Amino acid sequence: MKRSNDFIVGLVVLGSVVGIVAFALWLSQANLGSARREVVARFTDVGNAKVGNSVVIRGVESGHIESIELESTGWVLVRMALDHDVKLPGSPVVLLSESSMFGEWQATIMDRAAAPDDADVQQQLAQSGAAGHGALPGARLPDIAQLTAVAGRIAGDMSRVADRVQVAFDDRAAVELRQSIRNFADLSSELERTVRVQSQGLSQLSSDVHRTVTSVNATAMSLERTATRVDSSTSKGEIAQIMGNVNEASADIKATSHDLRDASHSFLATQQQLTSVLTHADSVLGKIDRGQGSLGLMVNDPSLYQNSDALLSQMRELVAEIRAHPGKYLSVKIF
Amino acid sequence: MAIAQIRSVIEATGRWVRFRLEEVGRAGRFLGQLARALTDVRTWGPMATLQMRTLGVDSLPIGLLIAVFTGIVLALLASYSFTGAVPLYFVGTLVEKTTTLELAPVLTGLALAGRVGASIAAELGTMRVTEQIDALETLAYDPEAYLIVPRVVAGTVMFPLIVGVAMVVGLGAGWVASLGLLGLSSEEFLKGARLFYENFDITYGLVKAASFGFAVTVIGSYQGLQAEGGAEGVGHAATQAVVYSAVMILVLDAFWAMTWLHGRSG
Repeated sequence: MKRSNDFIVGLVVLGSVVGIVAFALWLSQANLGSARREVVARFTDVGNAKVGNSVVIRGVESGHIESIELESTGWVLVRMALDHDVKLPGSPVVLLSESSMFGEWQATIMDRAAAPDDADVQQQLAQSGAAGHGALPGARLPDIAQLTAVAGRIAGDMSRVADRVQVAFDDRAAVELRQSIRNFADLSSELERTVRVQSQGLSQLSSDVHRTVTSVNATAMSLERTATRVDSSTSKGEIAQIMGNVNEASADIKATSHDLRDASHSFLATQQQLTSVLTHADSVLGKIDRGQGSLGLMVNDPSLYQNSDALLSQMRELVAEIRAHPGKYLSVKIF
Repeated sequence: MAIAQIRSVIEATGRWVRFRLEEVGRAGRFLGQLARALTDVRTWGPMATLQMRTLGVDSLPIGLLIAVFTGIVLALLASYSFTGAVPLYFVGTLVEKTTTLELAPVLTGLALAGRVGASIAAELGTMRVTEQIDALETLAYDPEAYLIVPRVVAGTVMFPLIVGVAMVVGLGAGWVASLGLLGLSSEEFLKGARLFYENFDITYGLVKAASFGFAVTVIGSYQGLQAEGGAEGVGHAATQAVVYSAVMILVLDAFWAMTWLHGRSG
């Protein structure tokens, strides 16, 4: 009975221990016997990455993180166990990032050229790569919390901008904007019309130019024919005679032109004098008309005429009186 | 008259305090005798395997039954809670964490408290009221080394094993339930189960189970040795053993959570 108890208890204890240990190893994905390849990467910060997180190459899970160690130099070394037959990229780097929104992280091994073109990531990779050999350069991507914080700031900025737009864009602004749009529509119609007219003008101009070119061509052909004829005429001396006649005519025209230029100059002086006389006459007549000066007074004041007329009448009466009574007015004594 | 009543109240209070202190003293003396008897390996050693089979191996079925239903219920509960909000592969995470950290140790411990604690208390109580323990003392046997230590050792050793197997079976039941009832694939369930798994989870659960086993067997033995007054006293001792064991399991659960789990980051 006692031996039976010992056997059963021993069996249960051994079975339980083996089962529990195997369970723990299976859950922790422990590596027992199978060949694994170890890769070490160096990071300034590993975020929330933990032992057991997946290692992904080109989107395929190829291993897991075996250990995370903090070095005395300040770097964090992450050891990854990869499947033995996994081939790494030519210039491998390791990026730690969240694989979902629920706090899972993963390590992604990729080629350096495929790394995100982010200044912070590139700086981390450069610093990690410059820290020494024996470990792949590593960088940590921003986690969801950081991204949402940035998104929150952007949303806040957008909200402020929206508020300002709402303040600036009141009813009046809307009316003005509507008017501007209408004006712009009118302007575009006008432009369209102008362009159409200009296009027609250009078409006309183009056809004119075409005709002109045609005429020029015809003229050139005529000129060519004329030149041919001239060329045939030069052999008889007619051209020389014509040129002599033309020279004579030209000299006559030149002399005539000279005389005309002199006459023109004389005529110009006469015209200036006449203008001056007319100006003075106009001035005198203006003064007379305005009653300035003696002549103006005489012209414009009727009393002067009346006084003169009265004076002449009185003088006529005086002469008649003197004729009638000379002794009254003349007394001649001799001695 | 009033003075006499006040005096009786004060006396009752003093008597209650004295009883409690005496009980603490007896418990302390019992633990001291237990520690002393632990060194008497030649006495308790041969009896240990019998107790390990009685308390441990024979308790496996009830532990596994609890684990199976716990795993199934956890998977369904997680699925119900996560619907539309959290990816379903987290069912594996919840089943793994809750099974290893809490439910397997506590539920198995409570079940064994009823079975083992009552059994020990009734057996030792019967021996006490029938003066078999007195007879052992007369024959120069150390009752602690002969009766108590094998049970305490068996409980402390076998409880973690039963709980460990319950963890495995519980996770397996949750896995099967996820495949059959929730439509999860094995890859998804295992991804969730492994996502936040740490060896600490199992260690924590097993250490808790060992403390539960120690508490249940000590309380059962103490209550059995304190039994008096015949069959009624034995029944009372068994009831007290189950009640105190269940309470002590919950107290220890909180103790370990506060001292070991609290402040620990994944």
